[in-house]
Amino acid sequence: MIKIKKLNHRYNNRKENAVRDVSLHIRRGENVAIIGSSGSGKSTLLKCMNKLIEPTSGNILINDEDIINANKNDVNRIRSKIGMIFQNFNLIERNTVLSNVLNGRLSYNNSLSTLFGRFSKEDHLIANENLKRVGLTKHTHEKVMNLSGGQKQRVAIARALSQQPNVILADEPVSSLDPKLMKEIMDLLGNICKEKNITLVVSLHFLDFAKKFSSRIIGMRDGKIVFDDEPAQLTEKDVVDIYGKTKDWYLYGKAGF
Amino acid sequence: MNERNKPFFKRYKGIFIGIIVVVVYYWALTGTNTSATAFAEGIPNMIDFVQRMFPPDFSNLGMFLLKAVETLQMAIVGSTLGALIALPLSFLAARNINRNKITYHLVRTLFDICRGINELVWGLIFVSMVGLGPFPGVLALTTHVIGALGRYFSESIETVDSEVIKAIMSTGATKIQMIMRGIIPQVKPLFINYTLYYLENNFRAATVLGLVGAGGIGMELLTSMRLFRSHEVLTILIIMVVMVAAIDRISAYIRKRVVQVENI
Repeated sequence: MIKIKKLNHRYNNRKENAVRDVSLHIRRGENVAIIGSSGSGKSTLLKCMNKLIEPTSGNILINDEDIINANKNDVNRIRSKIGMIFQNFNLIERNTVLSNVLNGRLSYNNSLSTLFGRFSKEDHLIANENLKRVGLTKHTHEKVMNLSGGQKQRVAIARALSQQPNVILADEPVSSLDPKLMKEIMDLLGNICKEKNITLVVSLHFLDFAKKFSSRIIGMRDGKIVFDDEPAQLTEKDVVDIYGKTKDWYLYGKAGF
Repeated sequence: MNERNKPFFKRYKGIFIGIIVVVVYYWALTGTNTSATAFAEGIPNMIDFVQRMFPPDFSNLGMFLLKAVETLQMAIVGSTLGALIALPLSFLAARNINRNKITYHLVRTLFDICRGINELVWGLIFVSMVGLGPFPGVLALTTHVIGALGRYFSESIETVDSEVIKAIMSTGATKIQMIMRGIIPQVKPLFINYTLYYLENNFRAATVLGLVGAGGIGMELLTSMRLFRSHEVLTILIIMVVMVAAIDRISAYIRKRVVQVENI
């Protein structure tokens, strides 16, 4: 579970805070979507959760552990239980699918064995099992650069799963995919997290996706949370609160369907 | 602001640049006593020199070839040893990896010193340290390569995709693991490319290291020249040209293959 208290973040070259006074409580196994237009702070908030971005102030507890004030080793230990998926996949393109998925096991190995390129039998077993779960067994030894976008995101999901996480953070995981693949990847991610009781926090551009795939929607605007409830409670006024008076939200909502 | 001058300078920019080029060139030519007449007067001497070299004398070919092989060995050891030492150091000289300013500048300065001094000068220094032979030559090549490759390596490390690095860090990996699994795979083809390029360079540099007593075929060249054995000089020059051309081609072929793999 994730507990965020009075979180603020300001980028060095900006006047305004990207995240403003955000407090949030996400329970174990919840499926949460953070929505908002570009620059609303949803991505920054997500990246603070595993300290990829160090917040200016505030507190974050992951499974009751303070990740913000933890020392290096503890940050790595806490991070090992948080999988992360990115919009641009962020895989080592030149390496094989298996090699990329094995990277999810790094935190279970010491630096010395990594220096010699060693992974244990168990690591391989877990990697292969997760590749099977995302349907990529056939491509295990292929280079990532030869795969399609949808396949690449499956590799990234398998990498995250190999960490055996209890939280998965997904930063606009389907924004660089075409509509059919978007649905496939969102379904896959949702189903896996459900069956493994993994807390899923996804940032999304698309309102319809959030409504369909998540059990809770957090709307952000100018770094602040302006909506936090079940999808059914989302009114037209809330949508205007999140996306502004422009009809942009309509585009967000309809794209893909 | 003098608005009138602007279009004036712009219009006659070509003439100004032309004048500057002529002045600089005249200055450099007179400073170096470069003159066409002196060159023309020297032509008969040159023809005489070349004539005296023919035909090449192959009686010592076996020994020269052995020395050529020694030159290649020097280049191989110098390049690989230099690359191996430069590899870990280059991470300290990459701004995105090493945030410690002291070690960063220390390693950068070390690279500058290694690179700034020519292999031949390093050869002189190491000959006076460890004596004549190929070993000081290897040390000279290694030292120069540490500086040159160290700089190239650290610059390639600075250009890696930082998002991929974040993805590796987000799994809870340590810094060493991030370097091994996130950075090395991204820069490997570049590193191989640069190292092979320096193997070519080093072979060329190694052929002259003998002039200062630091081993290789250059030593034979110096001896033959001092004993006025012009026919042997030609033999050695032929061996040098053939080997440099061969190594350049082989290395260029491998480098092309490495880059191609990268571009699939």
